[in-house]
Amino acid sequence: MHIPDGFIPLWESGIFWVISLIFLSMSLRWASKEMNEKTVPLFTALAAGIFAIQAMNMPIPWGTSGHMVGAALTAIVFDSPWAAVLMLALVLIVQGLFFADGGLIVMGANIFNMGVVGGFVGYYVFKSLKKTNFHAAVFTAGWSATFIAALACAAELAIAGTFPIDLGIQFMGLYHAVIGIIEGLITAVVVGYLASARPDLVKSVKKVVSNE
Amino acid sequence: MSNNNSILVAGLIVALLIGLAAPFLASGDPDGLESAAEKIINSDVLDANLDEAGLEEEGTVAPSPMPDYAIPGMDKIGEIGALIIGILLITLLSFGVGSIFKKSTSEN
Repeated sequence: MHIPDGFIPLWESGIFWVISLIFLSMSLRWASKEMNEKTVPLFTALAAGIFAIQAMNMPIPWGTSGHMVGAALTAIVFDSPWAAVLMLALVLIVQGLFFADGGLIVMGANIFNMGVVGGFVGYYVFKSLKKTNFHAAVFTAGWSATFIAALACAAELAIAGTFPIDLGIQFMGLYHAVIGIIEGLITAVVVGYLASARPDLVKSVKKVVSNE
Repeated sequence: MSNNNSILVAGLIVALLIGLAAPFLASGDPDGLESAAEKIINSDVLDANLDEAGLEEEGTVAPSPMPDYAIPGMDKIGEIGALIIGILLITLLSFGVGSIFKKSTSEN
């Protein structure tokens, strides 16, 4: 879902840089409160894992492929959408600067779609569903984060005039509804594993357990 | 302490294993956004945006040393190498950012 330079005009790219820098500065406030002996190793481990798995595109129908994003995963593990904003910004910086994955001018839009939309949608979907079934809530959070981020991307490209709005929503929505299943499954497996192996590290799990 | 670092080591091992496997397993098909663009992009608007950014084709204005997760001219070994370098870069960056904020809080 990485927008390359050229897909949206400079003025729109600038607006998304401003929006993303505001969210990013808020995410640094989260970091200054939450980074400690326990969270730094976990945050780093997730960053390495998310970077690696983002590079592995998995096939979906229609001769198309898709990869994990990891914003819902990060937000759920750290019990904060701000963790996801920071995580995706760092991953996108490395991807954009070294690997030509996502443009530099449009990086603000990519941080917004994958980090901000992905993180907030993933977090609040999980939060609203976690009392029904923990694993289903995690899966749905991962799926929705990808799907809604893709619709946001389609809207940005429609504003740019690059994609027609109806076909943009149709194709981006269809492809990412399928890619979201990959996102949801990996998110559920990783969060499920961390929650059982290291429940002390997964903040949102501690809350669920203490609520019971 | 060692307990917390073990999660970092485990995460790095998983990431490196994915990095070793990805060049062989990853699909070469275009991703969701590229596929949509192939079918529906308005090329007049794209051309105008590319002109504005000073680009020949869509991509990035940054000079990327390892475009598309590959070291030019090194085939699969270069793809594995690029991913390992990337994993090390994101590890240093995320650990560095985390450590800076950890330090500033412990000083307060």
